[in-house]
Amino acid sequence: MTLRVLDPTNEMKGAGGQQAARPSSLQGKTVGFISNGKEGTKGYFGHLERMLREELGVAHIVWRTKSNYSAPADAAIVDEIKRWHAVVTGVGD
Amino acid sequence: MQTKRVGLTSKTYDVDDFAAAQEFYHSNGWTDGLPVVPPTAVAVEACLEWALMPADQLIGIEPVREQPITAEKLAINAVMAGCLPVHFPVVATAWQAMMKEEFLLHGVTSSTGGCAILVIINGPIRLEIGANPSFNALANSDRATAAIGRALRLALINLLAVRPGGIDRTTLGHPGKFSYCLAEDEEDTVWQPLSVVRGIPEGVSAVTVMAAMAPRQIMNEWTTDPREILETFAAEMRANQLHYSIYGGNYAIVIPKQLREHIQGAGWSNRNIAEFLHERARVRRAEWADVGKGSIVRDRGDRIHAALESPDDLLVVAAGGPAGGFGAIISPWMGSKTKAVTAAIGACVDCEPPKG
Repeated sequence: MTLRVLDPTNEMKGAGGQQAARPSSLQGKTVGFISNGKEGTKGYFGHLERMLREELGVAHIVWRTKSNYSAPADAAIVDEIKRWHAVVTGVGD
Repeated sequence: MQTKRVGLTSKTYDVDDFAAAQEFYHSNGWTDGLPVVPPTAVAVEACLEWALMPADQLIGIEPVREQPITAEKLAINAVMAGCLPVHFPVVATAWQAMMKEEFLLHGVTSSTGGCAILVIINGPIRLEIGANPSFNALANSDRATAAIGRALRLALINLLAVRPGGIDRTTLGHPGKFSYCLAEDEEDTVWQPLSVVRGIPEGVSAVTVMAAMAPRQIMNEWTTDPREILETFAAEMRANQLHYSIYGGNYAIVIPKQLREHIQGAGWSNRNIAEFLHERARVRRAEWADVGKGSIVRDRGDRIHAALESPDDLLVVAAGGPAGGFGAIISPWMGSKTKAVTAAIGACVDCEPPKG
């Protein structure tokens, strides 16, 4: 017997956001790091900063740390993002 | 084939039979790995009618990704989990509670820490749905709590894409992520129900949700002294602080009848328990060095960390089988980053569903 069943997924889109335009080069650009504050991120971002400066010519690196590693970045940090050309975030432990 | 049904707006699919439905849902990543009840329009509409909710009623909006959650979609997942219509008001209210800012649902469901969402049911609805707060209270005690707990997880998977390796970045997880729901044994305790302690009027049905790790069972059959019994609970809380997370937050403790009667018989209220554990469940930061975490003690070794920032943070639950000197502590996912939320169930549990 044929069963007609329903889709259990969310077919409504959340407000969400749009991706920013991608820079073609990081030469002379400003890159922000948003750390979740966990211990292991210090070494990771330190290494990444050296790579970005030495290999890709990034001019400025801005370090920021979330006040709660399990929550979205604080509003003040999100507000700063518009002044950066790229951001690295979402790095866990 | 996809069609639209008037009233319900979800896409529909035609499958050959029950077995085909299983493969269809599994292959789309719409299950927790176990078989599901095929969500037909009749079954979903029955849930909505019982809860007096129109299909497009907004249950809430997930605060971080701003995903709207409607009654229809929640009911589909509840049916899949095995819920009866009478269970659906509990599912809907639990989701309303989960979407409160202080619950931090996104963090709770995405963290490597891997907690589950514990649901505690209070009030007359427990009796109506046939919840069993006695034998096996934290496990497969009854149909209602099994299905309600599972419904929350299936809805997370399907409505917020909380799938392992996707939004869900959990390292280990625990079996409560299949279902983690119990009812309080209000008929067999002199203590105030948890919901009343947390501000809901007596006689009103309610759910409490808590981002919770797996239960840690304790045993002390060798005393009737409330202090000695509760020292065992406190020791387990301290162990959790050292072995998992030192930071204070909501803890739940489940006290079955045998130990409960000793504590109640000595005249202790659940407030007395909370105050006792607030004082006793504390560790010095330096103790981290005893369990291999010396590198993060630093110069703060004398700092005292309380498992409960306040006695109000303890959720005392009377539940469990009649015999055995056991109990359980259920620790928070990650300190006070998330708060337990209690919400009254809005549906009139004494009302008849509308006639066809």
